[in-house]
Amino acid sequence: MIKNYFTIAFRNIRRYGTHSLLNITGLAIALAACLVIFLVLQHERSYDQYHANASRVFQIVKKEVKDGNEEFYSGVAFPARKALSNDFPQVQFTQFFVSNGSQITVLDQENKITNQKFIEETGVFFSEPNFTDFFDLIWIAGQPEILNQPGMVAISRSKAEKYFGSVERAMGKSILFDNQIRLQVAGIFNDPPTNTDFNFQIVPSYQTFLSNSGVWGFEDAIDGWGLSTSNHQVYALIPERTTADQINSQMGTFVKKYYRPEAASKTFHSLHPLKEIHFDTRFGNNGTHVTSKASLNTLLLIGVLILLMACINFVNLSTALAAKRSKEIGIRKVIGGTRSQLRAQLITETFLLVLFSSVIALLLSWIALPYLKYITDIQEKLKLLNPGSFLFLFSVILITSVLSGFYPAFVLSNFKPIAAIKNKINTSTYAGLSLRRILVVLQFSFSQLLVIATIIAISQMSFIRNADLGFSKDATLLLTGSSDSVTIARQTGFRAELKKIPEVQQVSFSFDAPSSDNNWTSNFAFDHKTEDQPFDAHIKMADEAYAETFGLKLLAGTFYSDADSVQKVVINETMSQKLGMKNPQEAIGKTMKLGLQDWLPIVGVVKDFKNNSLRETVKPTIILRTRNRASTYMSQTNIKLKTSNPGKVLGKIEQLWNTHYPEYAFSASFLDESINDFYQQEERLSRLYKVFAILAIIISSLGLYGLISFMAIQKTKEVGIRKVLGASVSNIVLLFSKEFTILILVAFALAAPVAWYLMNAWLQNFVFKITIGWWIFAIAILTSILIAWATVGYKAIRAALANPVTSLKTE
Amino acid sequence: MIKISQLEKIYRTEEVETVALNKLSLEVKEGEFVAIMGPSGCGKSTLLNILGLLDDPDAGSFVFNGIEVAGFNERKRADLRKRNIGFVFQSFNLIDELTVYENVELPLIYTGVKPAERKKIVEDVLDKMVIMHRRNHYPQQLSGGQQQRVAVARAVVNNPKLILADEPTGNLDSSNGNEVMQLLTDLNEQGTTIIMVTHSEHDARYSHRIIRMLDGQTVMENIMV
Repeated sequence: MIKNYFTIAFRNIRRYGTHSLLNITGLAIALAACLVIFLVLQHERSYDQYHANASRVFQIVKKEVKDGNEEFYSGVAFPARKALSNDFPQVQFTQFFVSNGSQITVLDQENKITNQKFIEETGVFFSEPNFTDFFDLIWIAGQPEILNQPGMVAISRSKAEKYFGSVERAMGKSILFDNQIRLQVAGIFNDPPTNTDFNFQIVPSYQTFLSNSGVWGFEDAIDGWGLSTSNHQVYALIPERTTADQINSQMGTFVKKYYRPEAASKTFHSLHPLKEIHFDTRFGNNGTHVTSKASLNTLLLIGVLILLMACINFVNLSTALAAKRSKEIGIRKVIGGTRSQLRAQLITETFLLVLFSSVIALLLSWIALPYLKYITDIQEKLKLLNPGSFLFLFSVILITSVLSGFYPAFVLSNFKPIAAIKNKINTSTYAGLSLRRILVVLQFSFSQLLVIATIIAISQMSFIRNADLGFSKDATLLLTGSSDSVTIARQTGFRAELKKIPEVQQVSFSFDAPSSDNNWTSNFAFDHKTEDQPFDAHIKMADEAYAETFGLKLLAGTFYSDADSVQKVVINETMSQKLGMKNPQEAIGKTMKLGLQDWLPIVGVVKDFKNNSLRETVKPTIILRTRNRASTYMSQTNIKLKTSNPGKVLGKIEQLWNTHYPEYAFSASFLDESINDFYQQEERLSRLYKVFAILAIIISSLGLYGLISFMAIQKTKEVGIRKVLGASVSNIVLLFSKEFTILILVAFALAAPVAWYLMNAWLQNFVFKITIGWWIFAIAILTSILIAWATVGYKAIRAALANPVTSLKTE
Repeated sequence: MIKISQLEKIYRTEEVETVALNKLSLEVKEGEFVAIMGPSGCGKSTLLNILGLLDDPDAGSFVFNGIEVAGFNERKRADLRKRNIGFVFQSFNLIDELTVYENVELPLIYTGVKPAERKKIVEDVLDKMVIMHRRNHYPQQLSGGQQQRVAVARAVVNNPKLILADEPTGNLDSSNGNEVMQLLTDLNEQGTTIIMVTHSEHDARYSHRIIRMLDGQTVMENIMV
């Protein structure tokens, strides 16, 4: 019986070739899309779930309520680790100091500097030996206990091979950290898997950080509760049968015990599960990206919709084909086939088609996977074949077979045998027609939803790229420097040499660019008041050439100058307004006091510029120079170039760098590129929408093409009669297009409000955003109609051009 | 074998009501060869469909092999049908996607005969119908006569008690037509009951009894000598 089903299924697939091809193509595309989406979800959801103690590990996070706003921090004050261990003896704690953009210099046998200099953007964790109880790591040489001593480091196998050629040669050798701290390699471990936000690569002992905290400017902060940085993180490993809530409930007492009363009232600590770190956008993580659960759900939804669309195609095409197959069904019934037997046969056919499609889908996914990095945050290559993906594919094959096979099987097996044999059944005599209309409407709603979403995402991204940031971001080169005093001392000479290059217009030193992902804030007092202002100031540390280098516009006063003997500050427009100044001029001459510093006079007010990404509002900002010229906070060199082709100058600048800072690796980036990096996630999302919108259009066009083909056959006689009665070709084409145009308009009426609602919610992520204009909807509906006409057109014209004599003979 | 009485079948559309069978009564004994004749629209096809359990009557009684089947649901009808009744149609109604062998095998599959046994039965029947040499051909590759021989083979493969033939020679030339009629006669002589709808007086003469219908009723019966 089964063999017979398969034989027949194969022959039917062959016999109704076009039909099968449309079905298989549509399904294969959809299955491939679903498979790729599954792999993405599988990968994203697996982040840091593999640690043996994953469900018992929590990060200590901090929430501050300021000015009615909640602010979330992943870092905690330096003394927190010891205090937590004291107050929660049943819980194990560990702490990291995470260093980004560090330079590693390989030392030779005699501990002399070699030419091997590497900038390690991420992966440096100053750690305590017990961190391996929290995070799984396989040691291949040495053991975690080496991290009890200062000056010791464990590195990954890949770094060992990169720095020293092999694991064996690496042990016992030394590296120089940021040209200041010598570290001896005493342990080597296997590289962590890719699905972690804790990509341990270089793990110096935490003791090393403690004895060198001045390198990062934290020498005064080590014992204080006033400062926290996301670089310093504390993790808890709670005992089994203890819940996070039990610990959290005691955190209030903890905060009151250690923080100053005014800070304690607005500070909240809690345990944040390790398993959630990858998904919580409030805190950020040490990895390459945070993926919100919402964006994973969006992806899941898109996958489900695409699959549904393909199933809809299947149902549409199969029920349309039913008319052609009615004779076969009739005969089978007459000679004894029962309904259930026929259903089994038809579902087998569907199953085979789906199976065949999934083989093609596997191939398509294999081709598509390397391109995944352009549309998602996943930069590594995913494995197509794994137990999970097989299980997924198997379930999808089953679900799809049932979803798309059941209805046509039900309809066909219910045909009255005699009518079926005599071909008296046509697609409009059973309920299929209105159902198919509904399905086409649904399909087009999905694809228009995606089209509208895509247009909105693309226009928002282009708005962002071209937005006025309040400063000039073009042709500006940023050089990352080290923060040691020797380096800083050489800045003046470096600047003088740079300015001799004709293409260099201006050079300044600062902590960061006007727009950066830095979020340095401080409490402050204004105008000799004893109380701090209720809101924090955003801090920019910069020298006197900063305004000119970035083209900041002064609204009042002046920028501080090189000749100033005292420290002065410049504020932005928002700060001036928040301080209650009626106009920028009024702020000039007033004073402010940052933390425990002196009262500093305001000498200028600059026009607002965007401090961070356009997702955030402009913050009240203070720009100031550090007291000492040689400051660790001014390690970035900003070079404004005159040329439109900065590539040429880059070589010269690198040469100069190497003569001034021979011990430092040269690391340069263009400001406009680093600003674009803020929006990588959104860029990828908009590309993702684009890809799926195109897929959705292809799938719905395939379905439409299939339907119109059957409609053309069905209407052969009608077209013949109409032509005999004098209808023109265009009348006939209109006859075909009219119905679909109406269906698409209905679909649009459904899709447009939903799309508006969803995308409006998405735009709320941005403070600076486009308004959703009517033209976006106009483009969406026009494209849909044009694509539908193009799809329908060929078949319609062919039907219209057919000779009425032959058309009428078919009856 | 068949006893129907006061059988009614009415086709209704929104505006028109057509009486296809009007209180028709009829009896067919086991081993009979009956021909049903009458003009188009007289109800003979409807009668054949009801006799074949493809359709159910609106009123009246239909006793098949001593069982009242008028109220049977589709599943029961299909079950009774596949064990007892074979069909031969004017337009052969072979499944184009199946070979000669597979077409003949199909009823056995539906009745659940084991594969080894199926092979023997099908080959036997194909031999008897002298179509064995065409077993792997598809219907389109055969002449009309050959197709109808396959159809007859398929109708008898389950060894049914009753064969219903709906103008079996209607699409055939006279020599192929005679061949098919001879096949049916042979089957009848081996004990199969045959009821045949036909327009052809020539074909009707192969039967034992001719029932003539008009407007959904029998109007005359001729016993052939």
